[in-house]
Amino acid sequence: MLELQPKPQFSVVIPPKLLQEGYLVHFSSDWPSTHVAIREKTFRIDAVNQVPYDLSYILPTGLLGTLYRDVDFSNGSGAFQESIYPENQSSLFEVLLGFKPGNFISHWYIPAGKSVHNLEYAQMYPDLTNVKRKYLGARQPKDSPYDDPRIKLYFVKDLAPLIMRLYVLPGVAFEKIVVGLTVNKCLMREIAAPTEDQLLKAKVIRYYDYLRW
Amino acid sequence: MPSIVVTADDEAVDVAAERENAVVLAKSLTIDNQGGITDRVITLQDVFTPSNYYGAPTPIVDQDIERFRALVVAGDIITWGEEDLKGVKCLGAMQVLSTVADAALDHCYVTVGYEHE
Repeated sequence: MLELQPKPQFSVVIPPKLLQEGYLVHFSSDWPSTHVAIREKTFRIDAVNQVPYDLSYILPTGLLGTLYRDVDFSNGSGAFQESIYPENQSSLFEVLLGFKPGNFISHWYIPAGKSVHNLEYAQMYPDLTNVKRKYLGARQPKDSPYDDPRIKLYFVKDLAPLIMRLYVLPGVAFEKIVVGLTVNKCLMREIAAPTEDQLLKAKVIRYYDYLRW
Repeated sequence: MPSIVVTADDEAVDVAAERENAVVLAKSLTIDNQGGITDRVITLQDVFTPSNYYGAPTPIVDQDIERFRALVVAGDIITWGEEDLKGVKCLGAMQVLSTVADAALDHCYVTVGYEHE
């Protein structure tokens, strides 16, 4: 058989999932004043280094919301701190996070106790002790699979602690929760006077509060 | 897929060590009690220590959970395939335990195929 492949009419370019060398990032004005070193500033990524890291926990079933594990991504030697944050002002950590399959959910808080996924009506916030609202804002393993992570986090020096609360759903005595991280370490260099074109091209990184208007 | 043959005993025998970022799945299992003179119950045990968590007891108690159980009469050999073992998952180490001790003229061999996933 002789076959002539027709010339494609268009091609699809899938952009990389992670920031690359030469990319621009801009930190919006909603960053708190404690982050004056990056707030409303634009940076060029000079170097990147992807660091894979797996975290795992074996937890019992959550018993009406009274048993759970908090994973604190901030730095320190606390029992639940994982020390994933950068220590340098010129570093930005872009983190991809995925879960291996399992019988559990995760809730997200920044800082501790302040949920990222509230609704607007009173009491419509995630609550593990409530049979319905424990699913409000809950991220399940299928939402961000280990091999195709969809949850992306941005960490800078001295960011308020970001907490991932892990809760094993009823139906199993224990579950192993495996969290796969890819920490994309980005070395940033400030662009003192970015052009309009640079600002348009820059990836805007907003503070977590923008999710809670 | 790795596999291992162990001699069943009334003290648990290691099959697969715990791997922190994976579970152990049983993929195939053969219990050969042809050299045995006693009926035995063979179990697959899941042995692990839970992580620290809010509401955890002090100290945290080690767990030893039965994940699979079968009675194999003396002189018999039974095989289970991947489909039969679907859902047999160990969070920690996988071990084999027998209700009867290994003895000079009473042997039972267990072949386990497994994967860390």
